[in-house]
Amino acid sequence: MYAWKCWRESRARFFFLLILFSVTALLFTLQPGIEVRDGWWHFDRNEYIRNPWPTAHVVFSMILSVLWCSGFLSAVFLGATAPGSEIEPGTIEYLWTRPRTRASVTWTHWGVCVGEMVLVAVVPIYLAAALLGALTKHWDFPFLFSAPWMMVIVGLPVLGLTTLMTALRRSASGGLIYASGVVIVYAILRQIIIVPLHLNLPTLFAGPLIWLMNNNQFGVTPSAFPWGALWRAVFLAAAFPLAAQYLLKRAEV
Amino acid sequence: MSEAAILTEGLSKSFAAQTAVTQLNLRIQPGAVYGFLGRNGAGKTTTMRMLLGLVRPTKGRAQVLGLDPTKEAELMRILERVAFVPQRKQLYGWATPAELVRMNKAYFPRWSDEAAAGLAQRLEIPMKTAFKKLSIGNQSKVALLLALAQEAEVLILDEPTAGLDPVMVDEILRTLIEDHVSQGRTIFVSSHHLGEVEQICDWVGILEEGRLLLESRLEEIRQEFRLVIASGEGLPATQSADVVSATTDGRFRRYVVAREAERFATELRSQGAAILEISPLGLRELFLHLVRKEDPCTPGNAGAKAVPVSSFS
Repeated sequence: MYAWKCWRESRARFFFLLILFSVTALLFTLQPGIEVRDGWWHFDRNEYIRNPWPTAHVVFSMILSVLWCSGFLSAVFLGATAPGSEIEPGTIEYLWTRPRTRASVTWTHWGVCVGEMVLVAVVPIYLAAALLGALTKHWDFPFLFSAPWMMVIVGLPVLGLTTLMTALRRSASGGLIYASGVVIVYAILRQIIIVPLHLNLPTLFAGPLIWLMNNNQFGVTPSAFPWGALWRAVFLAAAFPLAAQYLLKRAEV
Repeated sequence: MSEAAILTEGLSKSFAAQTAVTQLNLRIQPGAVYGFLGRNGAGKTTTMRMLLGLVRPTKGRAQVLGLDPTKEAELMRILERVAFVPQRKQLYGWATPAELVRMNKAYFPRWSDEAAAGLAQRLEIPMKTAFKKLSIGNQSKVALLLALAQEAEVLILDEPTAGLDPVMVDEILRTLIEDHVSQGRTIFVSSHHLGEVEQICDWVGILEEGRLLLESRLEEIRQEFRLVIASGEGLPATQSADVVSATTDGRFRRYVVAREAERFATELRSQGAAILEISPLGLRELFLHLVRKEDPCTPGNAGAKAVPVSSFS
């Protein structure tokens, strides 16, 4: 029943993100065929049939340039409804006097958010892929099909971080702001350190997505996959919610 | 002796430098209706939270239905059998009472749909309005409905009638007596409304600054407790087994005596004291005498000042 409560509480944010990213992905897919003739918008499918791969590459680049952040955004917005966010408004007294362990509550919320994150990442891009396939009559877009899963992999540590920050800050807004702050400050710090000091500070967990954005050309042999960044992401995706679970288990309200 | 529904032994809780509860010993028998009284900040809510695992004791131990709330597995079994109405009746603002009922019933195996429907009708709760749009009184009623329909063995109620009008207070008290007290359920209730406590409770405990000042059967208070006012030199200042409170008020000494007040008065007379008054105590007067640090002001003597002993002679 707590899963239903999590869904009920986050569904507005979920639908907002889903619609926003789906509309964006579909518009970017149609964009190469749109032209203005005699002051009117027209759609010409010939470009998709004549040059399927370059067109697909353009579409994919445009989609990724905007939707790369979908994992991050859905993680912070959905993750901010984590159990820690109920401490400040006081509903935690109700929640923690139901016969469910605090660990099960934490992981149920995490599970619901992962499900929503997967849908927010998969649905827009697979819709775009389906439309692109119908327009080009080709269905072989491996990068496009793997992109949502990279976004989820990048989003999972952020979801865990947001869960941890809501437990630390004991509020939804605190969790959202602090989780975003940590990610943004690290990214800025990384740039500041890399350029003048030539230090190779690793990407915290965005490596797989950066690799995808740099290797999205069809027919080109991709560079080595950043397995280190992937394992770092997996480790942090598990470590952050575990830390939140520990904090919440010890919390007094 | 049967297993206590609620038991605390030396239960203490401190928050940093502040002590909330000190060495609290309670033994509440199954079926008892126990009024837990005290001023704001006396430690009532902290005690209830310790019983429900929301706060961990600093020292001592607590048991609810023979189970330890500091152990997670046992706490889950406590929470299945205990209903709680918190002081801050905060539920999900987006949810309607009907949704809250659906959500709540999934947690409790003994949940009664019939009781929930009956309570919704008796308490006149608008079941399809979002919780955040309800008045404070209606929000309290929803919290009560969720607790009472749980058909729990123990009810822990922290100021359950706060924000309710007198008609609803009466309805709630009747519900508690008819549906819960009569079925032998244990009720542990804190309230500032002493009239309500007198109406439903058979035991009271009075807490002040985290310490239990008094624990007694309500019937015993009515029959045995007396206020003895004496004046004279060298009167005993300390409390004893029978004297639960001794306060100085100008040249007078006021004693709250738990039993055998006449014998106590005779002892004082033998020490040369003049006994000015021996009067029975209601719960309200007893409470005020115990927790007030200055002269008690009841409606009858609001603003009363100490009167010199010569006035009585």
